Amino acid sequence: MTQLVWNGLFVGSFYALVALGYSMVYGIIKLLNFAHGDLYMLGAFSGFAVLSALGGVSAAMTLPVLLAVLLLTMVSTGLAGVVLERVAYRPLRGAPRLSLLITAVGASFAIEYGMRIVAGPDPQVYPVRLSGTAFEVFGASLTLPQLVLIGVAVVLMVGLHLLVAKTREGRAMRAIALDPRTSSLMGIDVNAVISRTFFIGSALAGAAGVMAGAYYGKIDFLMGFLIGLKAFTAAVIGGIGNIPGTMLGGLVLGLLESFGTYWLGGEWRDVFAFGVLILFLTVRPTGLLGERVTERV
Amino acid sequence: MRKTHILSLAVTAMMLAGCGQGLLGNGGGAQDEAKGPIRLGMLVPQSGSEAAIGPYMTNAAQLAIDEINAKGGVLGRQLQLTAADDACDAQTAVAAANKVVTEGVEVSIGGYCSGATLPTLPVFGKANIPMIIPAANSQELVDQKLKHVFLINGTGTQQAEAAGKWIAKQGATRVALMHDNTSYSKDIAVRTQPMLGDKAVITEAVTPKESDYSANIHNVLQKKPDFVYWTGYFQEGGLIIRQLRQAGFKGSIMVGDGSVSAKLGEIAGPEVDGVFATMTPIPDTLPDAKGWIDSYTKKFGSAPGPYSNQAYDAVRLAAEAISKAGSTDSAKVISALEGINGFTMFSGPLKFTPEHTLSAGGFQILVWKGGKFALQDALS
Repeated sequence: MTQLVWNGLFVGSFYALVALGYSMVYGIIKLLNFAHGDLYMLGAFSGFAVLSALGGVSAAMTLPVLLAVLLLTMVSTGLAGVVLERVAYRPLRGAPRLSLLITAVGASFAIEYGMRIVAGPDPQVYPVRLSGTAFEVFGASLTLPQLVLIGVAVVLMVGLHLLVAKTREGRAMRAIALDPRTSSLMGIDVNAVISRTFFIGSALAGAAGVMAGAYYGKIDFLMGFLIGLKAFTAAVIGGIGNIPGTMLGGLVLGLLESFGTYWLGGEWRDVFAFGVLILFLTVRPTGLLGERVTERV
Repeated sequence: MRKTHILSLAVTAMMLAGCGQGLLGNGGGAQDEAKGPIRLGMLVPQSGSEAAIGPYMTNAAQLAIDEINAKGGVLGRQLQLTAADDACDAQTAVAAANKVVTEGVEVSIGGYCSGATLPTLPVFGKANIPMIIPAANSQELVDQKLKHVFLINGTGTQQAEAAGKWIAKQGATRVALMHDNTSYSKDIAVRTQPMLGDKAVITEAVTPKESDYSANIHNVLQKKPDFVYWTGYFQEGGLIIRQLRQAGFKGSIMVGDGSVSAKLGEIAGPEVDGVFATMTPIPDTLPDAKGWIDSYTKKFGSAPGPYSNQAYDAVRLAAEAISKAGSTDSAKVISALEGINGFTMFSGPLKFTPEHTLSAGGFQILVWKGGKFALQDALS
């Protein structure tokens, strides 16, 4: 049982990291950024490129090197997110939401198949891999890299929460989420704040991408599709637009999948997880922690 | 005007067909048709998750075509490859099939993913195009008993038999079957299960294209198996092998023919050593393929891979059938294919069963040793 919980939390922390970017962007400009999963893929590939360029890394240095690569990747993926917003979404700022949604789908394909041209269709394997011997805690076997990855995810999530809740920048984001026009009248540079939001959200997805690459080892140009979908589900379960809710949603989805597999068998897992998504959309569309909004724009 | 045009076409066609059966039996029909090349259609994955396989197959087909063309072609006409991408996806495959049909292919020699090949059967059937399927091998492809469909790879049933034999030989007592819910993969798993009887302790389906299979592996390990047989493709296969070992699994692991790829070892890492596979002969295990591997490598700058030999044979078989039939007329090519007896292929002399599959599947057991798959047991 504890093993199931642990498996669920581990997978769930990846979902949560990716879902945060989804949720922040939706919270601020009400855009479902379908290209978000592909930023996760971009992160995995940019980490791969850096590590390959470094050549061999000695076993003792694996973790520090990976952390450095993680930071580097977060910056580069964050910038990619900013470029994406500037090129694909900003020109459509006043356009109907449907146009934005279609652009997002187009951007997603452009990134996926652009990467296919650059890196080729074959899956790539990370030159550095995290592995460790398993040890038992309360009957669940877990490894040191798993603990480190969860630790990194928690640090990133807490940092994000502090940023949004306590800083000037965070206040500006929340103000735009409430009312972009009034915010701009109050002297907030709306476009700049949106750019920075994309930067942060994309950086988190990129971090998740590197972590997945280093832990699981295999990356390919379509790896972002499924996790993008899962992250969306996690965001809806937790309350899209709400940051603590989204983190919770990621973990809940991970646990749902883990227990769904155990109770119903592997072929029913996605039926179970996405069934819960439908249930949430009908019964509680605002998610676990989302606030009920009387008027939706 | 249009009507008469069609009518005259039909009359000509009837006359041509008559000629073929009558006095000018030896290639008469083909002589009267257009002198252009004979197009062979080939649907293989060139994008998507199985994109790595596409070039192995199209290159090998091109090699065979070039060799045949250098000897003067078939019925005095050159062969030409019309390849299209099915992305291992049902919808893309149907669109690609319609595309190659419109381009006027005479015989289809493609088909890797069974799930993507299955929906193209009626498309080619309607257009009266015989299909020689080199790699896809789900039993479902021949279950409909379509006259135009021929498989030159061993079927799921034959693969399951080979798997069953090897598992028994290994003395495994608790066997876990894992598949990815695609037509191909599930077929093998479902057909292996009855071979094992009560030794099969669990059949676990996973979702393809994910990274984390810990939940599935937890389910499998709870049944305490001593043998795991994965019947899906190599991307998930590599991850599953690695994650099984990391979770402490000590028993034997075997994979199906979709996982036989150098990438399997890269993805799985050192844990891949000693992994078995059920597979039809690959270039590396063929005794007399040395010269063929060399000419392939020289031409394309890389070594042939899985299903290169089957794709090569599919072209040669299509050429043989067309020249035996004396025309590209669908019905004649099909009966020529049915009549073939002892045509030499990499997998041995060819003779089709009444349901258009190989009379001998030719599955062997490979083992991963020293960085690649090598022959473990020919099961003969």
